[in-house]
Amino acid sequence: MLSTLQTPRSSLSRFTLPSSSTITTLASLTTQSPTTSEPQSQILSIRHSLLTRNLSAVDLAHSYLTRLRLTEPHLRSFLHLPDDQTIISQANHLDRRIAAGEDVGPLAGVLVAVKDNICTVDMPSTGGSRILQNYRPPFDATAVKKLKELGGIVVGKTNMDEFGMGSTTEASAFQVTANPWDVSRVPGGSSGGSAAAVSARQCVVSLGSDTGGSVRQPASFCGVVGLKPTYGRVSRFGLMAYASSLDAIGCFGSSVADTGILLHAIAGHDRFDATSSKQEVPNFLSHFDSASSLESKPLKGLRVGLIRETIEDGVDAGVVSAIRAAASHFEELGCSVNEVSLPSFSLGLPAYYVLALSESSSNLSRYDGIRYGNQVHADELDSLYGDSRAKGLGSEVKMRILMGTYALSAGYYDAYYKRAQQLRTIIRNSFKEALDQYDILISPAAPSVAYKIGEKKNDPLAMYAGDIMTVNVNLAGLPALVLPCGFVDSEPAGLPVGLQMIGAAFDEGELLRVGHIFEQTLENCRFVPPLVADSVE
Amino acid sequence: MSSKMLLRGTPLTLTLWNPKIQHKLLQLRRLSSKTNCSSLQPPNVSHLAKTAHISLTPTEVEEFGPKIQQVIGWFGQLQGVDLQSIEPSIRADTENNLRDNTPEIFDHRDAIIASVPSYEEPYIKVPKVLNVD
Repeated sequence: MLSTLQTPRSSLSRFTLPSSSTITTLASLTTQSPTTSEPQSQILSIRHSLLTRNLSAVDLAHSYLTRLRLTEPHLRSFLHLPDDQTIISQANHLDRRIAAGEDVGPLAGVLVAVKDNICTVDMPSTGGSRILQNYRPPFDATAVKKLKELGGIVVGKTNMDEFGMGSTTEASAFQVTANPWDVSRVPGGSSGGSAAAVSARQCVVSLGSDTGGSVRQPASFCGVVGLKPTYGRVSRFGLMAYASSLDAIGCFGSSVADTGILLHAIAGHDRFDATSSKQEVPNFLSHFDSASSLESKPLKGLRVGLIRETIEDGVDAGVVSAIRAAASHFEELGCSVNEVSLPSFSLGLPAYYVLALSESSSNLSRYDGIRYGNQVHADELDSLYGDSRAKGLGSEVKMRILMGTYALSAGYYDAYYKRAQQLRTIIRNSFKEALDQYDILISPAAPSVAYKIGEKKNDPLAMYAGDIMTVNVNLAGLPALVLPCGFVDSEPAGLPVGLQMIGAAFDEGELLRVGHIFEQTLENCRFVPPLVADSVE
Repeated sequence: MSSKMLLRGTPLTLTLWNPKIQHKLLQLRRLSSKTNCSSLQPPNVSHLAKTAHISLTPTEVEEFGPKIQQVIGWFGQLQGVDLQSIEPSIRADTENNLRDNTPEIFDHRDAIIASVPSYEEPYIKVPKVLNVD
């Protein structure tokens, strides 16, 4: 069936046909994997079912929407959901095109959730903030435009910490999202809604953003795959800027393959983003091996470096043990795994926060109540600015703006911002050296599993500390893939632990290839939360 | 506390229920308040709020003060590191691809106008700017 894929339209032309040998390989991704009872790629399964007319896009949409409506009161993943009819009519339109023998894009019929700081022209985009409460952007973000062109259906906008500032969604102006594994716990953040939505199978895949770990940490907490691409791989046009030198749009999926397909759909140069790269986007899945065709040591020769500083004091014993088990799994697959030390690691955290807070104080100055957003009436301009921002912005955001303002004040730039930039150079170089010696680096994605809602709310430093595993990757601009690798015991069904894999710049293809093999050979690990286990085949 | 201690640095990872970590955190917090350069004034929250155009309530000033102080103190670690001859990085290695400087008409100008809170065609209406001497 995959051999009938055509790419007549220019918007589809980047999704090139795989070679004939990979068609057979990819076809097997639509069948059930031997070690888990979930397909290796939901997207490819969907495509197969739609094109063979085994399933209609309307039926598929109904099934997701039913599950979404049932679980949403418990999870609160979404800030905006259009009427079901909007989704169904797009699905209907697709069914008619398939029936007419028209070619459809690789994301045809796939329901995609989008984080609310990514602009969508037909749905509100609030950034999780009251200051943009009813804001309707006049344009789609490039990533959204691309996924729509390839047939994706945007099912809704997901909850997040306000403007990306937080790790739990507790800093959302509107609601707190619950972790599908245990609704008394956080889903992580700031892309908590997008992670929870995929975890609970409310949608197939979703988009998030990652400035200091905001895709990777929620992926770990929610037991889904999360990818932060190389800085510049995906256009930031239409992503509400938090820290422009660190922001990246990232992807969530219930499998490595799905995450890779979504990344491929949205990656590439965009003339509206001066920092977007012109590097060619390879067909990531063409290097995938199916589980059935794997030899006994499919990753023989791969050099894996486990970052020593990420498994030391302060990391949950359960997390360390899951990561060590993942390291053993890599060894079984033929890799050599050694510990590697990155001594500048711990300084990355304050350096990151200086840079992020400083840049955000500048980026958030546009929310002044004049051209868009909620305005508080005042008789005089300064008060209009001050009051609109005071009323519209949450406490965490206000504090971060103030701290960033401090760090950038005259006389303090050299002491803070410039030093942080110098640390960025050190960290970039130390990753480069490590990635010369090793093909990929691994670490946990977070020092703990999902904690209880309310647990860290009043202690900013405690919350920031949880980002230690992830921020250095943003400073260096490298790609990283997080996939669930194990569990920590906890009622009712255990809590997932994510493994982070870090690669060299623009080496997403390798991360995905290796991640796919790791995932497909992981035994006895099925990452479907009990909340939805019955409704997922 | 010597700068060597800073460089060896305990990774700032916490699990709140681990007493060993609580102790380390306490050490770090004491450390961070001692490493502030004497020439750097502590943050004046009211002044920062004016600069950032956010009208804070007195309660907020009182509440935010210690938290901001704590985090800025924690930033103080950066002072203890030897960074001589290290070039600052603006961002990760990326290309800077500029597009041609040619104007284009945006198709949805009416959607932009629709978002403006206070609009009196063709002006965006704002209150008077008070000149303070």
